[in-house]
Amino acid sequence: MEGRSYQRFPTVKIRELKNDYAKFELRDTDASIANALRRVMIAEVPTIAIDLVEIEVNSSVLNDEFIAHRLGLIPLTSERAMSMRFSRDCDACDGDGQCEYCSVEFHLRAKCLNDQTLDVTSRELISSDPSVVPVDFASPSSEYDNAENRGIMIVKLRRGQELRLRAIARKGIGKDHAKWSPAATVTFMYEPEIYINEDMMEKLTLEQRMSVVESSPTKVFDIDAKTGRVVVVDPEAYTYDDEVIKKCESLNAPGLVEVHPKEDSFIFTVESTGAIKASQLVLNAIDILKQKLDAVRLSEDTVEADEQFLELDAHMRGG
Amino acid sequence: MNAPDRYERFVVPEGVKKVSYERDTKIINAASFTVEREDHTIGNILRMQLHRDPDVLFAGYKLPHPLQYKIIVRIHTTSQSSPMQAYNQAVNDLDKELDHLKSAFEAELAKHSREY
Repeated sequence: MEGRSYQRFPTVKIRELKNDYAKFELRDTDASIANALRRVMIAEVPTIAIDLVEIEVNSSVLNDEFIAHRLGLIPLTSERAMSMRFSRDCDACDGDGQCEYCSVEFHLRAKCLNDQTLDVTSRELISSDPSVVPVDFASPSSEYDNAENRGIMIVKLRRGQELRLRAIARKGIGKDHAKWSPAATVTFMYEPEIYINEDMMEKLTLEQRMSVVESSPTKVFDIDAKTGRVVVVDPEAYTYDDEVIKKCESLNAPGLVEVHPKEDSFIFTVESTGAIKASQLVLNAIDILKQKLDAVRLSEDTVEADEQFLELDAHMRGG
Repeated sequence: MNAPDRYERFVVPEGVKKVSYERDTKIINAASFTVEREDHTIGNILRMQLHRDPDVLFAGYKLPHPLQYKIIVRIHTTSQSSPMQAYNQAVNDLDKELDHLKSAFEAELAKHSREY
């Protein structure tokens, strides 16, 4: 087929990057790509989470399924997830969680022996794979105090109560169950372009200008102390709430302030649960989206069937 | 109780084709593509990419029902092209765009880690 192409060349600019947080600008593409990326990050980037729990002893106050559910929601470090197999298409095992390609085993043993309440946390989970462990929020990059970190609470035990279990973690996606979602939040907004009509602004009194500045619930505008002019201090603080526009109309000055969303420019914020790095989350999402696109390519036999149909059609018309 | 299994949403059942193609019997150069186990993520980017092709007269997609895990993409082109050609072109262009996006993001990442 011919080589015409309507491809776009998006550009990226990273503004802020932490292990579990990323803020970046995405330009020269449209909302469909931005939204597809957001959707994939939330629901289709794989992570590892506890999926099967065998309880040996549970004399705690929480029932078995309650504990199993809590275990499932604990984020596990999932750098391995992209290269792991889904247990449903793992041929090395029957999906019973006995194989290293598709599962990771955890053990938990806890018993309270004294009068003080025993907190059973995610730190008590013993993993069979050192690369897949409960997310540690006390990593040096985070602000949490190391001494304060006690992991994620699973259950509290009083004297004589015991919890003993075996858990199997598997690879999965957020579409299946939210426990597999690597994203805490992923949002994007159109970059706003704010115009102030200076000629109209000239005609307003300082008091009226103040009212314009204060009409915005977020701090988008301010008054320049020297010149007394209204200036935009932070366009991105604008939440598309239209309050300023309404204010301008009430001052009998429609068009005094205009806001246009730039339709090809987006500001993304990505927050990760800690299962994978925020930057890796974005990269994985691009990979997954590419895989999805690859899967929807037309298969050879569909193309052939159509060609035969065309021939038949030409034959019929000719005859 | 009678809810479908969760995996039904993304596992293509055996013997079912991922993409099937059906020509319109009344209009030439018009066809529908039924894509199994996909949703707005793929549907919307395909549609928007198809709109960039001037030979495409109409491109739209629908998710017929929330419990039918498929989308239907309908394409109508001029005689200069065909729905199948336009579809392939759109998928290829999107693929290249994502390649570009990935390298752009990686370059930014490298730049960012050097600076801080």
